[in-house]
Order: sequence, then structure tokens, then C-alpha cells
Amino acid sequence: MPALIEAQDLTKRYGPHVALDRANFSVQAGRIVGLIGPNGAGKTTALRAILGLTAYDGRLKVLDREPFRERAELMRDTCFIADVAVLPAWLRVDQAVDFVAGVHPRFRRDRASAFLAKTQITGKRRMRELSKGLKTQVHLALTMAIDAKLLVLDEPTLGLDILARRAFYDALVNDYMDETRTILITTHQVEEVENLLTDVLFIDRGRIVLDSSLDDIATRYAAVAVAADRIEAARAEKPFYERPMLGKVVLYFESPDRDRLAGFGEMHTLSVADLFVAKLSGGVA
Amino acid sequence: MNTAIWLIRREFWENRAIWLIPAVFGGLLILASLFGGYRVLGAVDLTTVRSVVQAGALDGMILIAVTFFVVMSIYSTWYLLDCLHADRKDRSILFWKSMPISDTATVLCKLGTALIVIPLVYFALADLTTLLMAFIISVRASSYIDSSLWRGGLWLQIQALWLYLIVTAAIWFLPVAGWLLVVSAWARRAVMLWSILPPLALLIAERVFLGSHVIAGQLAARLGGYFSHALQYDPGAANWVTTEIGHDTINTPVSVLRFLNADGFFSSPETWIGAAVGVALIVGAIQLRMRRTEI
Repeated sequence: MPALIEAQDLTKRYGPHVALDRANFSVQAGRIVGLIGPNGAGKTTALRAILGLTAYDGRLKVLDREPFRERAELMRDTCFIADVAVLPAWLRVDQAVDFVAGVHPRFRRDRASAFLAKTQITGKRRMRELSKGLKTQVHLALTMAIDAKLLVLDEPTLGLDILARRAFYDALVNDYMDETRTILITTHQVEEVENLLTDVLFIDRGRIVLDSSLDDIATRYAAVAVAADRIEAARAEKPFYERPMLGKVVLYFESPDRDRLAGFGEMHTLSVADLFVAKLSGGVA
Repeated sequence: MNTAIWLIRREFWENRAIWLIPAVFGGLLILASLFGGYRVLGAVDLTTVRSVVQAGALDGMILIAVTFFVVMSIYSTWYLLDCLHADRKDRSILFWKSMPISDTATVLCKLGTALIVIPLVYFALADLTTLLMAFIISVRASSYIDSSLWRGGLWLQIQALWLYLIVTAAIWFLPVAGWLLVVSAWARRAVMLWSILPPLALLIAERVFLGSHVIAGQLAARLGGYFSHALQYDPGAANWVTTEIGHDTINTPVSVLRFLNADGFFSSPETWIGAAVGVALIVGAIQLRMRRTEI
């Protein structure tokens, strides 16, 4: 099966600043992929390129289309929520539904109405009268009623309180996701999406530094908490990162020999957040 | 086509001023003609009174048409400057661009709204206003004027004249509209300033360094030359018909269509050079729209 998104040497420069530096990655259909990186790493630029919102160098195919040249066609099969609350203040809820129903061939009005019926939002309300959380609900109702193959979310819960954030992700998983969908999501709140994702892409200074499924992370990496007196022996096993914790030192290993490491102390798997910090702090701390 | 209709409908949702301004203006004029006082200017002779009323009505109609035209020009200018900037400012462009609509369709629909749709709205509302006013005034002043003033053929000609003005003005002002769209798609802020400063800077630079004023001349010819290109004054007395009502005479043109300079307008190189510049600027605005997503 060909990849849904295929990027080769994807590069984007803003004057002297290189936002994307020959990034290579691919996203397979049916996955929920987190594009994770620190601020300014190139996450948003990568998404903008994928959505056809910016010109770029290198090769990029999304659903077999060139995003920048074919944005309008691509948007029949792709939808995106870039940040929350970008619906314009003057727009009424019923107008928003009418407009999308009018211009989008894959929009299912009944689904949007059913989603909105579960909220307290009435059609005559204007966006300027709605809270950020409610605006997100409207945007979600519009987006989830589109039969798209790819959904792209850029920091979708930025500025939302914890209740609204939880509601957003619950709706995403329960009402939207099925095996025909693919979701690409960026966030810097890794913990929040960790149990949602099937794959992660780590991006740092415009380059992809890790491209892995969550299953692979569980088998490929391990952390061992080592007592101070055995630290030198453990270091001989070549950890790629270490950090002190409660009088011990936690060492991170890639492709470890689990039998040998077990002798040094308690072993556990790495969370995405742990791995993210380790990979992006650069080598041994 | 369907998408274009939705895009234009969307412009009406966002910019309710498109019809609110002329509707309020028309409403005020109708109220004035309903309740406004009128004076019979000390005349005793009925025929003199009649001519005063008629002259006033004619002047009034012209004044209304000119006012509608001026208000429309100002509004359309503002609309063009705002239309590709407002959604970048509030970031709602990210929503509009998530729809399967090309940037070309978006820009052309906004251009069409400014040059065709807004003038048609003003035209329709100005028509409605003047017809209602004429009716009201003729009822209120029925003792002075009678139905002999009503010329259905002339009224239809004036409709044709309006449509001719809308089409020719859209072509003539295409480079101006194109420039405003470029500024709207490009500027981060202060669109009004950016629309004026670069041409002004060029004009001054030309005057200082070359001592010439070609740019100034071209700008003045474009901004002020529309009526002299689209219309012609036809002073031949043969073109006027004189109606006698009592002792009164009224001069009306046999046909207002004689004032149209369609042949001259459509064969003038200025028309088409300007249109070509306009098309180039619009292509530029579309390219900017594709690339500039946020402020």
C-alpha cells in the first residue's frame, strides 16, 4: 500500500532561516501520527507544506497530489483544524453549516447537525458570541462531518481548558476515527496525545530525528534505574541518555540486551515524552 | 458555478454594509420625500411653479445618482483593500483554505463582488429609491405636475445607461482594483497606507530624479479619465426634444444612449492597456494569496 504522505528532502527557507531541512518521512493510511517537536522545530511549516498553504522545495506527495499546486483538489479528501477558534467572528453557526454543505462534496449535513444537537449551540449564534471551547465544538462538527481520508490537526487544543481538551480528544477517538481515516497531529503537549497515537515523528531544527511506531518504541528502547555504585559498569553498555532520579541514575538504551541490563536494576519501557526529551536534549546529559 | 454563488453569498454575510449603506441612504431619501416640506417659490403663475418643481426633481435625481455613485466608489475601494486582508488578520483564512476552493476562485469572486455585484446592488436600490420618490412627489405635488413628465422609454434607456456604466467602469478600473487586491493580499497592516504610498513614492521619485511626471499623468488619466472615455457630450440641438406644457418648455434628450461612447471606449488603446495591467495585477494577487497565509 502506497504511503498517504510521502516527503523527500522537504525543504523550506524563510530568508536565511531554514525551517525544514531536507526532511524525509512518510505516513501510512489508517494511522494516527503525532508530529512532535519543540517550538520552532518546523512542525507547523511541515503541516503548512502538507496542506498546500506554503511553497516548498523537494518532493512532497499527499494522497498522490502536489499540495501547493493542487490544494483545492486535495481539500476534497483532507480536512484540517489549524489551531482552535479560527472561525471568523461574524459567521453564524447555520451559515457555516450551509457554506460547507454548499462547497464541499463530501460534507454530510446530517452528521454535523447531530453533533451540534449534542451541544448547547443554536444556529443563530455568531462565532464572536461563543467561547473558545464552543467554537472548537463547531469547528469539530464541521470537520468531522466531512468524509475525508486525512485529518490534519495543528495544536488543536491550544488555549483550551482541560475539560474542553478532554472533550476534543474524546470526540476525535469515539466519533471520528476508524480504519479508513488517517490523522496527523502536532502538539507540544506530548502526554496529552500519547495514548492516542500509533506512530510518532520527532522533528528538531527542521529535520526528522525519529520516525517510529509506538509498538517499536516499546520493544526498541528501555530505561534502567541504576544505583550510583554500579553506574560505571552500566555506562559500558552505551546508554544514549541518562538522568538522575532519587539518588539513582536512569539510563536509556536503544536495542538493549535485556538479559545483561536486567542485572543493573529495575527496567521499564520509555514513554513518548521520555524519549522525546532524551532525543532532543542531544546525547548524554 | 455553484461554488461561486456560495462565495458571493459569503461576502454578503461578512459585509452587510454592501446593501445596508444604500438601503439606509435610500430609506432616508424616501422619508424625506414623504415628510419633507416643499415651498412654492412665491410663484403665482401655475406653469412657473410647475417648472420649478420639475427642475428641482431633475436636479434631485442627478444628485441622488451622483451621491450613490460616490458612496459606492468609496465603499468598493475599501472592500477591495479589506477582502484579502481581514481573514489573514483574524486567521480565519485557515478555515477558508481548508475548503476545496482554489485561490483563483476566491480572488475572482471577490473582484467580481467589488466590480459587478456591489454596483448592481447600488443600481437596484437607487432605482427603487428614485421610483418611489418620483411616485411620492408626484402624488404630493399632483396639482402642479401631471403624468406628462413620465417617459417610460427614457426610463428604460437610463437602465441601459447604468448597465453600460457598470460594465465599462469594471473594465476601466480593473488596474486600480488589481492594485488594491495586491495590497490586500500582501500587506501585513495599514492597507490604506500601502495602497497610496508606493505610487506616491514612484511619482515623487520620478519628479525628483527625472524631472518628468509620466506616472502622475498616467495615474490622473486613469483615476479621472473614466467619464471622458465612456461618455461623450452631444451638444447638437437636434438631439434634444422640446416638450411644451402650457407655457412651459422642457428640454429632454431624444435618447440618453447618444451620450454613450461605446465605440470610442472599446476601441481606445487606453482601455485595453489598462485592462492588461489589471489582469497582470490580479494574477499577482492570486499568487500572493496562495503564498501568504498569515500576517
